[in-house]
Amino acid sequence: MLIYTVKRLMALVPTLFIASVLIFLFIHLIPGDPAAVLLGDTATPEEIASLMSEMGLNEPLWKQYILWFSNVLKGDLGTSIFFNEPVLSVIADGAETSILLATMTMFWIILLGIPIGILSANKHGTWVDQIASGGAMLFASVPTFWLGLYFILIFSVGFGWLPSSGFPSLSDEGGLSNLRYLILPSLTLAAPNAALIIRLVRASMLDVANEDHVRTARAKGLHPTAVAIKHVFRNALIAVTAAFGFTFAALISEAVVTETVFSLPGVGRLVVQSILRRDYPVIQGVILVIVLLYMVINLLVDLAYARLDPRVSLK
Amino acid sequence: MKSIILIQKIFSGRKLASLGFIWLLIITIMALAAPLIAPFDPLEIDPIARLSEPGFPYFFGTDHFGRDSFSRAVFGARMAIIIGMGSVFVALVAGGLVGMLSAYFTRLGNIMMRGVDVLMAFPALLLALVLMTLLERSVTNTILVIGIVYATTTARILFGVTLKLRGEMFVDAAICSGAGHFSILFRHILPNLFSPLLVQASFIFAFAQLQAAALDFLGLGLPPEVPSWGNMLSEERIYITRAPWLLLFPGALIICSVFSMNLVGDALRDNMDPRFKDDISGV
Repeated sequence: MLIYTVKRLMALVPTLFIASVLIFLFIHLIPGDPAAVLLGDTATPEEIASLMSEMGLNEPLWKQYILWFSNVLKGDLGTSIFFNEPVLSVIADGAETSILLATMTMFWIILLGIPIGILSANKHGTWVDQIASGGAMLFASVPTFWLGLYFILIFSVGFGWLPSSGFPSLSDEGGLSNLRYLILPSLTLAAPNAALIIRLVRASMLDVANEDHVRTARAKGLHPTAVAIKHVFRNALIAVTAAFGFTFAALISEAVVTETVFSLPGVGRLVVQSILRRDYPVIQGVILVIVLLYMVINLLVDLAYARLDPRVSLK
Repeated sequence: MKSIILIQKIFSGRKLASLGFIWLLIITIMALAAPLIAPFDPLEIDPIARLSEPGFPYFFGTDHFGRDSFSRAVFGARMAIIIGMGSVFVALVAGGLVGMLSAYFTRLGNIMMRGVDVLMAFPALLLALVLMTLLERSVTNTILVIGIVYATTTARILFGVTLKLRGEMFVDAAICSGAGHFSILFRHILPNLFSPLLVQASFIFAFAQLQAAALDFLGLGLPPEVPSWGNMLSEERIYITRAPWLLLFPGALIICSVFSMNLVGDALRDNMDPRFKDDISGV
């Protein structure tokens, strides 16, 4: 297990390295000059040229990359052009919102996805199953931002139950009750992902239900609910765990949209705004952090998978 | 005739999927005959009639420029089909070639699949966003970007399937009878990839609609004047309290189309070659 973990960690290095080169190249191929953007329309060409050399944008590309990456390894992601602050602290500012949003979303996904998935598999073929799995597929087909906009219209504008946008920090006035700002966004974000989990739980439970050990459990007279939970669901959970890496990627993608809809000060909205502002250092930094996080989560998922399922051989 | 029988076989006993298939046919007809169906020019501005309620002569109402929402939605069907088909084409050709060649020429494959791994380390929408910042907002670029994003998954899947096929008897037979690499790949292996490619195409088509709408919404997709369902949602979002129907219709069109495509994809997957069942996954 330890050797496997180390091996997998080592394999992350080249992928992360190539990804960093790609991110760097992507960003530097973008048309539009950050110096010109920063100085605005009134800037003279001389001013732009001097700022460009100050920012090191005149150096050859490979030199810029080496400089950037060696700083990254030291934990310095550069300075945001827009905020004039270290990129790492700009990201850290958005982290609270994004982490809380992700946690709350995961809570809904598990709360809705797993029980409905089990129910759907248990009532396989009946109308309950048809409604649950059809409904799940319907929710997987809804654009996130559309759902979010109508949630705002119904629950914020219509009933006035929940705030429609923004998120004050938990340390600000209001404390824990500020979490109510995240209820609608997290539900929006959870809907398509919970739908995926429902379908996945259902499919893997139906797979496991055909196996010999389940027949044995039934044959020895175990209560059907006990069979479903102890024998079928426990094994189906392995496949569900394996899909969490995928869910996480979907969460990040959709968080970008959801945070924009609800104007949340999170990392996802930071990506979009930095792209629109041409804030190169922030775009590079955020994407690098997200890619690293995604790779680590995938690794953790694989390790958990290997632990949960003794049949998985660690090569 | 053969294809009609095939369609009958796939959809027999699947009421919802059949409905989905019919809905997709309707969308296709709407896309093809858009100028005949739409009562107004989708770009025509009528400031007096702005934000009219649905009724007559504006079935879906008008937007904040006074453009007829129904006509825009009809032309939006055209965009949806173009984006969907285009992305599917790019993803299947690029991803299919990479996957097939990588599985066939293993040494080249090691390098190429590594590249695919790196691209897959980016969450889909994030990759699309980054690529989109490099390019101007246009229909072609949106198609290219979405196509590339899904080319990675296609390459992964086709890599696995081709690897399986390569070990089969008929490939050995082709090699023994002196067939060249090109002939083996495209005459012997490719025809067997038809069903996984078809299933893949249906899911990419569905995902592409959602991705394109998200890009439009973030202001990084199609140019704002193009009548697409995503742009309609994105432009009218601030009017949602005054004219909620403006977002209802385009949204419903996206949902129905994606839902239908997913249903059809599911039906196709269940009917496909049992050899590849484990390799393909959709929603």
